[in-house]
Amino acid sequence: MSLARVYIYLWPVPHGSWPVSVRLLALIPVAVAISLALSAAVDAVALPLFLDTTGTILATALAGPVVGIAVGVLTSAVNTLRNPTFWPFVVVQVIVALYAGLAARAGLFRSLKTAVPTGLGLGVIASLTSTPISYFVFGCTTTGGIALTTALGRALGLPPLGACFFGSFVSDFGDKAVTFALVAAVLHALPRRTAARFPLALRAIGAT
Amino acid sequence: MSALHPFSLLAIAAALPAFAWILPAPTGGLATAGLALMLPLVPDPRWGVRVVRLALLTAAPFWLFLRLLHDGPTTVAIGGRITTMVASFVWLVAVLSPDRLVEAMVARGWSLAVAYVFAATLSAVPVLKARARRIVEAQRCRGLSPRGSVANRLRALRALALPLVLSALHEVDERTLALETRGLGAGVPRTPLAAPPDRPAERVARWALLLLCLAALIWRLA
Repeated sequence: MSLARVYIYLWPVPHGSWPVSVRLLALIPVAVAISLALSAAVDAVALPLFLDTTGTILATALAGPVVGIAVGVLTSAVNTLRNPTFWPFVVVQVIVALYAGLAARAGLFRSLKTAVPTGLGLGVIASLTSTPISYFVFGCTTTGGIALTTALGRALGLPPLGACFFGSFVSDFGDKAVTFALVAAVLHALPRRTAARFPLALRAIGAT
Repeated sequence: MSALHPFSLLAIAAALPAFAWILPAPTGGLATAGLALMLPLVPDPRWGVRVVRLALLTAAPFWLFLRLLHDGPTTVAIGGRITTMVASFVWLVAVLSPDRLVEAMVARGWSLAVAYVFAATLSAVPVLKARARRIVEAQRCRGLSPRGSVANRLRALRALALPLVLSALHEVDERTLALETRGLGAGVPRTPLAAPPDRPAERVARWALLLLCLAALIWRLA
């Protein structure tokens, strides 16, 4: 169902009504920009985080996985203009959106106690998904940090694929937990009236 | 080269990495990397040298990390492919104007939603990045210290990220109103003002590139 609606997003729309509301359409570029602009905050605190899925998770928690997938695909596309190796990892963004959609429907953004473990779970899934792409397409050299942790894994005696997973896991595990915690904080800080304008926001924080 | 139809530029930038991965390594990857690095030099060598230099600087760390993790032949095999991908996209960014791409998409009958989302994202990213930097400076002026223990840094991150994300979300309301005021909710197709010309020869060349990719893939799998 979700994939069919993404297809509608990408295909010429015949004359008539729009497949998505204008509000959700306006949310997509803002969410992509959030993902990319947060790097300035991360640089300021000098933590080994990416937070590049924040917009995807936030858009999903507000408006569901269809909007989240659109945000994820667009984030990868814009990142690709900066660093072309981002594009094959678009699959990870789609999985993040689907996972965040399930989490939002289950109300797992209701507190940090539920959001952080859910983010840790996503960290494992994201590293399992990105490892084969990183290994077979790029030989585990996608970013400097991941390449260095992969080299550390090799030095610890892990096989090549295991070392690649180790590199991805180290970067993704904490990053996704912090991202989920940040999105939960944003959803709780949103005025109720603003949150109610998005279809999934109140359910994500367990308010309905 | 930038006078080519945006879809033709996209087709070239997509086909070169596809060939790099389909053709046998290392010859295939190195040949496509050479082609991708030659592309910017075709119209204006002086301008092209700057693009090639940027592509080589972007690709260099990958070679370094590949050498760190792999033996010589594997480094050359994967390095050629990655260099093709990097050089193709650096060239694409240098020659492709987002405005022309949006006009071409609208002229081809693509949903205005796709065109809007694409153009709005490209304009929103630098605006929000500048706002993020201003928030960092403002919070520092108020005494926020983003150093110390990990817990302290995470608290500082929250103080920096929340204002940025909340202000961006409030902007969604303004954008919604602006889009509805301009009649985007009506679903009426937009008339492109300056649609880029799409010559028959370019259309044929795009189809030929696609068929060549498919043929190469079948040859490799056979």
